[in-house]
Amino acid sequence: MSREFLLPDLGEGLTEAEIVSWLVAPGDTIEIDQAVVEVESAKSIVELPSPYGGVVASLFGEPGQVIHAGQVLLTVTDASVDAAPISAPVVDSPDPALSEGSGAVLVGYGTTESTRPVRKVAAGRFGKATAISEGTSPAAVPVAVPLAAAVPVAAAATLDPARRSPVVSPIVRRLARENGFDASMLAGSGPNDLVLRSDVQEHINSGSSTPGPTVPSSPAAETSTDSAAADSLGFDSTRTHSTGSDIRIPISGLRKVVSKRLSTSRTEIPEATIWLDVDATGLFAARDQLMQATGERFSVTALIARFVVAGLRQFPELNSSVDTASQEILQHHAINLGIAAQTSRGLMVPVIHGAHAMNTRQLRDSLTELVAHSTDGSFAPASLSGGTFTLNNFGSLGVDGSAAIINHPEAAILGIGRMIERPWVVNHELAVRTVVELSMVFDHRVCDGGTAAGFLTYVARCIENPASLLADL
Amino acid sequence: MSLQQTLETGTTVRAPENLTMAAALNAAIRDAMVDDPTVVLFGEDVGPLGGVFRVTDGLYAEFGETRVSDSPLAEAGIVGTAIGMAMYGLRPVVEMQFDAFSYPAFQQIVSHVAKMRNRTRGKIELPIVIRIPYAGDIGGVEHHSDSSETYWAATPGLTVVSPSNPADAYSMLREAIASNDPVIFMEPKSRYWTKAELALPVQTAPLNRAVVLREGTDVSLLAYGPTVKTALATAEQGEAEGLSIEVIDLRTLSPFDDETVGASVRKTGRAAVVHEAAQFGGYGAEVAARVTERNFFYLAAPILRITGFDIPYPSPKLEEYFLPTPDRILAALSTWEWS
Amino acid sequence: MSLKVESTPNAVLAPLPLRLIDDRGNAVAESECGEFTLPSVDTLLSLYRQMVVARRFDVQVTALTRQGRLATYPSALGQEACEIAAVAALAPEDWLFPTYRDSIALLTRGVEPKDILASFRGDWHSGYDYHEHRIAPQATPLATQALHAVGLATASKLKRDTTVAVTLLGDGATSEGDAHEAFNFAAVWQAPVVFVVQNNQFAISVPLDKQMACRTIADKAIGYGMPGYYVDGNDVAAMYAVISAAMDRARTGGGPTLIEGLTYRIEAHTNSDDPTRYRDSADVDLWRSRDPIERLEKYLVAEGALTDEVRAEITAAAEDLAASTRECMTEQAVVDPLELFEHVYSTPRAALAEQRAFLAAELGGDAAASADLTEKSAR
Repeated sequence: MSREFLLPDLGEGLTEAEIVSWLVAPGDTIEIDQAVVEVESAKSIVELPSPYGGVVASLFGEPGQVIHAGQVLLTVTDASVDAAPISAPVVDSPDPALSEGSGAVLVGYGTTESTRPVRKVAAGRFGKATAISEGTSPAAVPVAVPLAAAVPVAAAATLDPARRSPVVSPIVRRLARENGFDASMLAGSGPNDLVLRSDVQEHINSGSSTPGPTVPSSPAAETSTDSAAADSLGFDSTRTHSTGSDIRIPISGLRKVVSKRLSTSRTEIPEATIWLDVDATGLFAARDQLMQATGERFSVTALIARFVVAGLRQFPELNSSVDTASQEILQHHAINLGIAAQTSRGLMVPVIHGAHAMNTRQLRDSLTELVAHSTDGSFAPASLSGGTFTLNNFGSLGVDGSAAIINHPEAAILGIGRMIERPWVVNHELAVRTVVELSMVFDHRVCDGGTAAGFLTYVARCIENPASLLADL
Repeated sequence: MSLQQTLETGTTVRAPENLTMAAALNAAIRDAMVDDPTVVLFGEDVGPLGGVFRVTDGLYAEFGETRVSDSPLAEAGIVGTAIGMAMYGLRPVVEMQFDAFSYPAFQQIVSHVAKMRNRTRGKIELPIVIRIPYAGDIGGVEHHSDSSETYWAATPGLTVVSPSNPADAYSMLREAIASNDPVIFMEPKSRYWTKAELALPVQTAPLNRAVVLREGTDVSLLAYGPTVKTALATAEQGEAEGLSIEVIDLRTLSPFDDETVGASVRKTGRAAVVHEAAQFGGYGAEVAARVTERNFFYLAAPILRITGFDIPYPSPKLEEYFLPTPDRILAALSTWEWS
Repeated sequence: MSLKVESTPNAVLAPLPLRLIDDRGNAVAESECGEFTLPSVDTLLSLYRQMVVARRFDVQVTALTRQGRLATYPSALGQEACEIAAVAALAPEDWLFPTYRDSIALLTRGVEPKDILASFRGDWHSGYDYHEHRIAPQATPLATQALHAVGLATASKLKRDTTVAVTLLGDGATSEGDAHEAFNFAAVWQAPVVFVVQNNQFAISVPLDKQMACRTIADKAIGYGMPGYYVDGNDVAAMYAVISAAMDRARTGGGPTLIEGLTYRIEAHTNSDDPTRYRDSADVDLWRSRDPIERLEKYLVAEGALTDEVRAEITAAAEDLAASTRECMTEQAVVDPLELFEHVYSTPRAALAEQRAFLAAELGGDAAASADLTEKSAR
């Protein structure tokens, strides 16, 4: 094995040195710390000791030649090898002449590059469109349509999207937002038109007001020179509702992020859905047996999650992503299982990373932790990204099946419906069994129906007869 | 209550007496030294003189040279040798005679007192208390009225506290001496002569807690050390104008009691901080930033800081124009939007 | 302005430093030994062995630093006599207060190379067991540890223990206020402390004549009211004799002593320093000729104590140490970012726990990103 001795940093800002003389030759046997070369940097000549012992294989650089920190000085092998002649210096690192690093300093290693990796961040985390998902400019602020003179002056408490009153107080802003409107659209009664809490409270209490000219939220439809009393929907703004009024809810925050992702998914992925009903009576029985045997509680979701992981091992196509840029299907090695959760903040999909390496118990514990956070949606950022497959247990919402939307850029999503007693046929006779509908939506680009069905029936079989999983342990 | 009643600390409970803050501090050091033979006291003039403010009065006579001693006039030396003593198992309580004279000890405090636990992964801890009389309002000549609390509070590894009244002075100093962490104990010298009826030993709130001294609904007024009295006077005065001020004595500067302050601010929606030290980069800046970060959507107005000006502390005849007063505080609060 | 040490005013006016073995390896006449006697051959052989091993360690660590595997290393090459004499004079209950340059003193007192190098590699700021070895952390801010030594010694005295504190200082450090305060406190309190000043004649690049105007550092002792000794710092016999006597005096209530060992810093301040900018190589050569190990070697050979067999055994021991030093450096540094929050206060703080959780979450993100990278590179 050949090992390289790179020229180290020699001192403050001194990242290059001139070879004065070689103290060894190819073929020489050297010991650790033996001086192998004399180099000169600025004014001092230094002998450099080798970090390795062995036989000198090759030297890089002639006396008089300038080499840079990080370049190979010589290579050392364990066994004796035919010595190579002195060759030109191998440039390993980027041009040090352009480097702004300090090199080793009096008191330490000097400026160094961070060793921490570049981390994935949630798309749209600043509430702005990214270049990849949208070609159009961000639609953050509705563009105003100028009022025509014929429109009567709006009442002071009217919401006017054209208006931008100062709203200094966070609590006032929040109050308005929680009631579905932007406080800065009110005419403030404070100094310099400051919107006060009383203004907001009044508007909430009034419940009836004349909405200003409505404005479409997409700028693409905006041609602002067309001002008219009626808006583009033909709505006569002079009309007043006798009871109730429309409410405009800005699409922002989490809802905006989710909306974008769902739209991308539907736009890009040619998905297909397959479903089947499964007799889950055996699963519940198995769960009880597990409880008696181990004394531990396992949720049905945890057990199904384990089946899903096993299934994805058999059918890895469903644990992949489509890289449209390179026109490749990336089959992920890791199974990072996303669990769709309805939180007070909205739909979130926290991920159990490394589910492929977990046993049932560990999966269960990870799930329990997720559940703990799911009421308020307080998941750590790291656990909201990196998913490769999503499990969507919507049975608690009271439905059986769903043609769900795949969690882009994943390739499939498995839905679990209600687990209720239904009439079933067992041994040619009617029986009452606990039945659940499984519905799976998959990206038809990554596999055909056969594979998808294979996975779904595999999971179904595990649910019907958990013992069958023993064969795959 | 029986005079002979003994609490679990072994200190005799005394009858209630009218004690100044200086006397309460004196009692705290004395009781700590009785309870724990490893507590030693030294500094400039702390021996026979009893300290320039009499905080260590009588201790030299009672405990002798081996436990109470006058050191040479060298603050770095005082703190540095305290470090060595603490390494050997003693619990030094040292005094920096006046706030501005703690600066020669800055390196020993910041580079060693604050860092030793961390540097040694907890193998060497320094249970040192550094007492510093600070702040002004005593008509003092130059260098005797500084407020250096921000330098210490900004140094990780230090615990920085400031009592505002005699009961807290006793309780907090006892706790500081018993702590295994180094404590910078800032004593508001203008309040050394304030009195309270105390039956020692007394235990008030824990060292790391702020306390609501007066409840209110309109404003959370945060103060520490000498400005607590100012804040209470402000609340009194504000009542006449219909303003209900909740006064909080922060007591601990590092750590900061986010919980107590947060609960108050979420109730009132408005907060202001009062301190003598200059405004720019002062302690109030940290309070304003963190309270805003943690409670933004409950705020009806920005957090104000009513402080000394950004100038060196003035001479005795000009001091009154510098120090925050109830009038100045109320004027500041009235600039908020109240309608 | 000449860089040569010999021609500085200090050297012209200074008395001769005390020595018991001259730089040719001959024992000095008894009449010139003052109140001190030459240590026994056995003792000197033991000191010799420790110096050889210490030097081998120092050279090895310097090499490791040149290979870029340590952040920095301030070498004590040439100062072995001072370092070893100070440690050898310590009783088990005594405490040592070293500086960043005194790693070979740590080694000689029994600290493992791995634990010494932990701070120079950058694993943590300090890496050994202070109470086990009774050595304070290696101090970086100059002279600050001298006050700690005085405090500890005073505490020992207050408790009526026999512990003596020894602190090592450099010539530059004696200009710091903390040194002055330490000398003063020690003498006023009659603390059982011994100040060993290694005058290696440079504070990074600043030579002695820019550091002080006095004749010798030892002269300063008079000003504080304690005894001072000016010793040949490359004569381990003299250093050992004088330090031992000072420790006896401290231990028996005689108070502090200031000892100056005149020596020379053969290497640069640290590996990234360029000494050719401020001193003459002729001076370095001169002091190499006064090498502490060589002169003692000559004496021991003449006394018949350093046989080939003994020499071989010592060399083997030194090489073993060098090998195990290289060995421990092959292990990767184990650093746990979350440990940063552990040793700040004795009681936990909620706000700090929040910051810890923040970093923990970031690290979780790092792990996920690393996993992605590993995945991508595996494709």
